[in-house]
Amino acid sequence: MPQMRANPNRMELLKLRRRGDVARRGHKLLKDKLDELMKEFQGRIGANRKLRAEVEAGLARAFARLAMARAEAGRSGLATALLAGEPASLLTVTEKSVMSVRVPVFDLAPLPEPGGYSLATTPAVLDAGLAYLAEVAPKLLELAEREKAIELLAAEIERTRRRVNALEYVLIPSIDATARSIQMKLDEAERGNLTRLMKVKDMIAQQEADGR
Amino acid sequence: MSQTLQIAVVGDTTSVAGFRQLGFEAVAVERPEDARGQWARLMGGDYGAVFVTEPVYRAIEDLVAESADRPVPAVTVIPAAGSTGGLGAAKLNRAIERALGTSMPVGEGEG
Repeated sequence: MPQMRANPNRMELLKLRRRGDVARRGHKLLKDKLDELMKEFQGRIGANRKLRAEVEAGLARAFARLAMARAEAGRSGLATALLAGEPASLLTVTEKSVMSVRVPVFDLAPLPEPGGYSLATTPAVLDAGLAYLAEVAPKLLELAEREKAIELLAAEIERTRRRVNALEYVLIPSIDATARSIQMKLDEAERGNLTRLMKVKDMIAQQEADGR
Repeated sequence: MSQTLQIAVVGDTTSVAGFRQLGFEAVAVERPEDARGQWARLMGGDYGAVFVTEPVYRAIEDLVAESADRPVPAVTVIPAAGSTGGLGAAKLNRAIERALGTSMPVGEGEG
């Protein structure tokens, strides 16, 4: 593990140890966050799968009716009939925080009644198709909301995992290795000092014995 | 913070035409690649939810991926009239793969 550059003295050692403690605490917190995010994520995936199946079935039903209508009225006839609608601002979007991830919450305004086309020139099955479509629309929006939340959670999980791994496998080991090496250098200096003192003491004792 | 936004549906004429009656904006494209030109407008902030049909999603997958990290608009894949479905689930699996670092076997019995 690459060590950091640090002067081998007591002050640096204390500072490093403190940094190590903070890093370990941060790592624990992030790891808890990751676990909780995962739990949330997996719960959502299961529920979403069912909803998607429902939506896809509903759409298929509506499309089948619309295809029939097109067969009866002709492509251009149908296109003209359906031109009547007007795009409206139907969606109220608020944001909600899930584990500090901001996810959108959709609120769908009541859909406008299908109409505005000539009932004389369009087949009855068109009405049925549009009714099916209107029925599936709220679910469609719910699906959009949930899938968006899942995507955003996935991104947050990825980010959090990166941080956890960086702390666990890079920062904390490198702090520990540096602290250890400073400790060893300090110990070595200490031993050097001790032997020097003993040596000096011996020399003084020798001199005193010779001088007498 | 709350905004009032529109909903758009991008796809071939048959798939999107009906949505116009419901007040959604129907963006009809003749070829799936034509959605590329419309995409900047759809991502501009006027739309809260954008639904794309499967052929369109296949054609502009890279553009869709760019919007994945923003809260709005929510881009959702829907089956087009006459398409098989299943691509929407694939998009979700990609998110799962991103989160877990590996793809999770999709449990059929779950739900």
